[in-house]
Parts: sequence; C-alpha cells; structure tokens
Amino acid sequence: MDKKKLRNDIILVVSLLLITVVSLVIINVNANRTNLVASISVQNNVVEKVDLSRNEEKDFYIKGLKGEVHVHSKDGAIAIIESNCPHQDCVKMGYIKESNHPIICAYNAVYIVIEGQSNYDVELG
Amino acid sequence: MSKKLFPILLITTLTSCSVNRVPIENRIFCFDTTVISQLYEGDQSNLDDIRDILLYYDRVSDNYNVREGITIRNISTSPIKVEQELYDLLKTSVDVSNLGATYFNPLCGSLSKKWKEALGKNELLSTDVINSELEKINNSSLIFDDDYIISKKGEAEIDLGGIVKGYSLDKIKEYLSNKHIEKYLINAGFSSILLGKKDTSDGYFTVKISDLDNAYIKLQNCFITTSSKSVQGVKIGDITYSHIINPLDGSAININDAVIVVSSLGYIGDALSTSMMMNTVDEIKEIEKKQNVKTVVVRNRQVIYCNEWLELYHG
Repeated sequence: MDKKKLRNDIILVVSLLLITVVSLVIINVNANRTNLVASISVQNNVVEKVDLSRNEEKDFYIKGLKGEVHVHSKDGAIAIIESNCPHQDCVKMGYIKESNHPIICAYNAVYIVIEGQSNYDVELG
Repeated sequence: MSKKLFPILLITTLTSCSVNRVPIENRIFCFDTTVISQLYEGDQSNLDDIRDILLYYDRVSDNYNVREGITIRNISTSPIKVEQELYDLLKTSVDVSNLGATYFNPLCGSLSKKWKEALGKNELLSTDVINSELEKINNSSLIFDDDYIISKKGEAEIDLGGIVKGYSLDKIKEYLSNKHIEKYLINAGFSSILLGKKDTSDGYFTVKISDLDNAYIKLQNCFITTSSKSVQGVKIGDITYSHIINPLDGSAININDAVIVVSSLGYIGDALSTSMMMNTVDEIKEIEKKQNVKTVVVRNRQVIYCNEWLELYHG
C-alpha cells in the first residue's frame, strides 16, 4: 500500500514538473515570436505601424508638422530617407532594426520607435 | 501526502509560469524628442500628471518657437515676473556651473543655433562669428530678483537643452515618490533616463549603451544620462564636430566621444554629461568625487574610463 502511495506521489511531482517545463517552453517560444513592429508617430499620435518581421519593402509618406517625411522599410529595418528638416539628423541615422532605438525628426515632430522583444529594457544613446 | 501537497504544488507550478506585469505607458513628444513613461504601479491619472509636468517644462524652455504664456524667450533686459517653476529652473541652470559643470552655460543659445545651422550645411563657423557670439555670452547674465522677477543683461540667448530633461525628470521623481510609486522607467529621448525599480525579483533594469559594442549596465533607482556625438556629430575633414558647444572657446569640438553619468539627481547628471564632453579624465574623476556621480567615458567606441562602482557587462 505504502509503495503504491509513494509511486503516486512520484507520478504527481513528475507530472507537475513536466507541466512547468512545458509551460515555460511555450511562454519563451511565444515571447521570441513577438514581432518587431515600428510605430511611426507625429507628435503624440501613432500614424502608422509597420511589421518589420515581414521583411517587406515599403514606402510611407508621413505628414509632419512642417512638411512630408519619407519613411522606407526593407529587410526588417526602417529609415527616414527624405525630410525637409534643415539638419538632416534623422536621415543621417540610416536604417534601424533594433528594438529601443528611435529615429527622431524633431523639425517635423515625427519619430519612429521599434517595439518588440529585446534583451534590454532600454537603450541609452 | 498527495492530497495535502497537491494544492501547494499546483499553486507553485502555476505561479512559476507567470510572466512579468506589462507596464502602463504613454509617449509624449517634447524637448524635440519623445519621452516614454512606463509605470508598473499607479494608473492613467499618474501618466497624465507626468505628461503635464513634461509639457510644462517643454513649453517654458522652448527657445525656438513662440509659445503660450511666459517662456525663456520672454526674458529680456526688462524685468519680468515668471512662475516659480521657471524661476527655479533658470536659477538651477546658472548654479549648476558651480557644481562642476564648468562647460555648461545656459546663455549659449545663439551660438548653438549658429553652429547647428552651419554644421547642417557641412560648414564651419568663421572665427569672427564665434568671437562675436562669445562676446555676447561673456557680457550677458541672468539677474534674479525677489518675487520671481527675472531679467537678462546682454544679448545672449537662453538655451536650457543641456539641463531641462534631467530637471523635469527630477520633478517627475518627486511626484512619483509623493504618490508612493516605486516601479517605473521614464525615458527622455534615450539620452536621459529615470529608473525606479523594475517589476522583477531583483528590481534591476538592463540598460544597453549604444556608444559601445554589446555593452550594458544594470541599474535601479537612479538617473542615467549620456551626451554623445555619435548621432548628431558631423565630420568635416578629420574632425567630428558636435552639437555640444564649448562655451569657453566657442568651438564645437569635444575631447570625448561620449560621456555617461549615473547620478541621484537628473539635472546634475544632464548638465555634467554635457560639460564633461570637454573634460579630461582627470578632471572628470575630480568632479565625480565632489558630486557623487559615476561616469563612463568613451572614445572611438572604447571605454577609456569607467568608475570603479559601475559594472559594465558585455554580451
């Protein structure tokens, strides 16, 4: 009888451990599948969301505060390739593909932030 | 045993599978950048209050556009009464140079604008223009009278770009502390970041340093600020010119490529990281001791100095 009880206990513990491991695997796989999405905003409004994980080549013409900003996405990356701003800092940044690092065109109040899975909470710089 | 242990084991199993709480978030375009506020505690009303703090300081410190109410653009030779918040911000911007930020001067506005304009066209400012701007800066000052009356002597323009983000983050920290909110991350343009505690067991945030390859730092309950010429630097000939102007000689040349400052006060970190772009490592070490800040100095994507209390991880 005791042997049977012990066997049942072992089965129970092993089953629960298995549930834990399987659940953790599912959670991690889903987390890694999180798509990298670039959100394009003008001032405080998101005007476009671009799924970068599709690796599609696309153009977006965003109406900024003082003119049009030409945004281009390709190979899972995104850039501002044309802007009427005087300093062209946003264009000089080139393509970004990492989460956390934004492109900002202050002149037009347009900014692009990539959202999604990252190993870091925030990027400084 | 099974009957007694089962509920405990089941609860343990289920809780071990839980994921971290997703913070509530808002994004505000201000200070010519985006400020992302993430709260792991509190509610939408707290995010709204944070937005109000940011928009207030964005408005009063704007030296490019005409804005509602009294802003730094209204401060001239005629004395004017300003709100206490703006008075305190301006007073702090003047006082911070006595705290080691010797290369920070809030009266560099016109010189900064002229450098930005020239570098935008890949040109340098002439010595004549630099000297004329330096004369304006050296002959100007802010005068603080009782009852929040301010005036400006001289023709120099006020520019609070090197301090206002950090200063606003100080005000947000004060607000969050009053509301007993401890778990948050407020990211002001990726160059000034206020860190509370992360919603994890150790409470540390992982901060990637973009001026270094695959380097990161783990921090909580502090400000981390950086000044860098990697994004806005302009290479003309062999020299990379920066948007950070040396108020002593009027040049746009920095000794360091990036300086990262970890501090307990945002305005000090912000002003020091700007000023330290012109400091030698020995000078930086002296300032660190006096101001209780911790610094990383970068040149050519290499760490040339890292405070012994900061641990940089790679990978």
